[in-house]
Amino acid sequence: MRFDIAARVRRSTGFTLEARFSCQADSVGVTGPSGSGKSTLLDAVAGIEPGARVVLGGTDLGSVPIERRGVAYVSQDPLLFPHLSVRANLLFSPRASDLGEVPDALGIRPLLDRMPRNLSGGERRRVALGRAILSRPKVLLLDEPFGGLDETRRRDAMSLLDRVRSSYRLPMVLVSHVAEELAALTDWTVRLEEGRVISSGPTVAALREAETRIDNYFEGEVVSAGRVRVEGTELACLLPERLSGRVRLACYAHDILLAREAPRAISARNVFSVRVANVIRIAEAVLVEIEKPALRALLTTEAATSLGLSPGTEAFAVVKATSVVYLGPA
Amino acid sequence: MESIRLSLTVGLSATLLSLPPAVAVAWYLERGRGPGRGFLQTVVMLPLVLPPVVVGYLLLKLFSPRGLLGGVLDRCGTPVAFHWLGAVVAAAVVGFPLFVLMIALAMKGVEPRLEVIARLLGRSRWRTFWSVTLPLSWPGILSGAAIAFARGLGEFGATIILAGRIPGETETIPLSIYAELESSGGETRIGTLVLASIALCILGVLLARGLDRWHRRRLELLR
Repeated sequence: MRFDIAARVRRSTGFTLEARFSCQADSVGVTGPSGSGKSTLLDAVAGIEPGARVVLGGTDLGSVPIERRGVAYVSQDPLLFPHLSVRANLLFSPRASDLGEVPDALGIRPLLDRMPRNLSGGERRRVALGRAILSRPKVLLLDEPFGGLDETRRRDAMSLLDRVRSSYRLPMVLVSHVAEELAALTDWTVRLEEGRVISSGPTVAALREAETRIDNYFEGEVVSAGRVRVEGTELACLLPERLSGRVRLACYAHDILLAREAPRAISARNVFSVRVANVIRIAEAVLVEIEKPALRALLTTEAATSLGLSPGTEAFAVVKATSVVYLGPA
Repeated sequence: MESIRLSLTVGLSATLLSLPPAVAVAWYLERGRGPGRGFLQTVVMLPLVLPPVVVGYLLLKLFSPRGLLGGVLDRCGTPVAFHWLGAVVAAAVVGFPLFVLMIALAMKGVEPRLEVIARLLGRSRWRTFWSVTLPLSWPGILSGAAIAFARGLGEFGATIILAGRIPGETETIPLSIYAELESSGGETRIGTLVLASIALCILGVLLARGLDRWHRRRLELLR
């Protein structure tokens, strides 16, 4: 779809959004720091904020009333109609004639007769997404749709959205500040700062300019105080006292070091042998996926080259105990 | 007691009569984007601050057989002045500002983004009002109705001017108490009427509070 968007919104707070970009893409990502105008841009595209010239797929939406724009909006807050059942929410749009396969695709068929207040956060988001799809939109706007979800649910939601995008051939505009989400779901990324577009280009190129901070989220079994077993490897980490059972953990990809030989006399509490599964180049950085445990390490291209890392390479991973963060029980 | 029955009929009729315009005005004041909202608000609130006798006098001018509306209604066989309908109109007009205030407050509590989502999903403003705004403000509207009913029950000044004091026709509880005060030996009847008045008003206010609490709890639950 061809996106031609020129938005000019002035807020009484003094904030001004002056964003203009054009692209030919299936899915556009909008990123930038908090307060950069990402949500305001989505509001302008949707027609909630007046003052935007929006041409989508050759149709000028400027003079089209909001209800006939064919724009579906899913925000971080799912905003389900609280007085209506899940079924009535899904069929709320006059363009939604029947549920079809959407409840199955989103795994919400068992919830159809429930009221929104009896749903979990993740379920609400899926219903909101289903409601948006059933309104047969020309474009789907998503504002931080994975915000506030734990890692497992975030991954589920991402793969679901990816399936939705490919099965319904639905052009999307996705607001996110997570490089991984933009990389997985968009092919064009617009970066905003202080209400202005500072870059607009293919997502791969946009991520090259951005700080690429890709994190590891994983689960492990507590074996003793401060020690967890993750896929057969025991890791030292800082855990709350008297913890047992499975726990969720996280570690930044840039906090994992790789070495070809086992380092000795080192302060890091975790040194374990791994095998490189994959090496992904992201501009000047390289994302190295390792196995057992499945983690990702972010290295400079120079470091990866000097170590001669490629799929199958045996190496040692070095992780400080303080770099492994306890997120909560699994 | 005829006056108690009449008061209930007048109070209920006035509430029902003012419900649609109160909802419409409250929506326009709370959600409308058109001009004249400030002026409309001032006009709507006038009966709250004007002496009821003045309101009654203005209504009499409007609804008397020679008035702007009274003439037309008379020809249609629906006289208002010095008729029980006059008591209904007086109670409706005097209770209107509180009714509007309560409904506007309920509508203010409805998350505006829900209405935006409804529009984006393809519903017009009108259908959004019916399917989102109204159902979510309904308990607030009901508590507003209870307050308007209680206010209508106690209406005296505007009623006596517009509807007069016709026993069995326009003599509501307050008018009946006034009449008993003028006659001798009506102490027992006055006592009964006062007690009935207090009981009905307490009932109305309790109902309003109950509905308001239910509304708040529902909104919290729905969040």
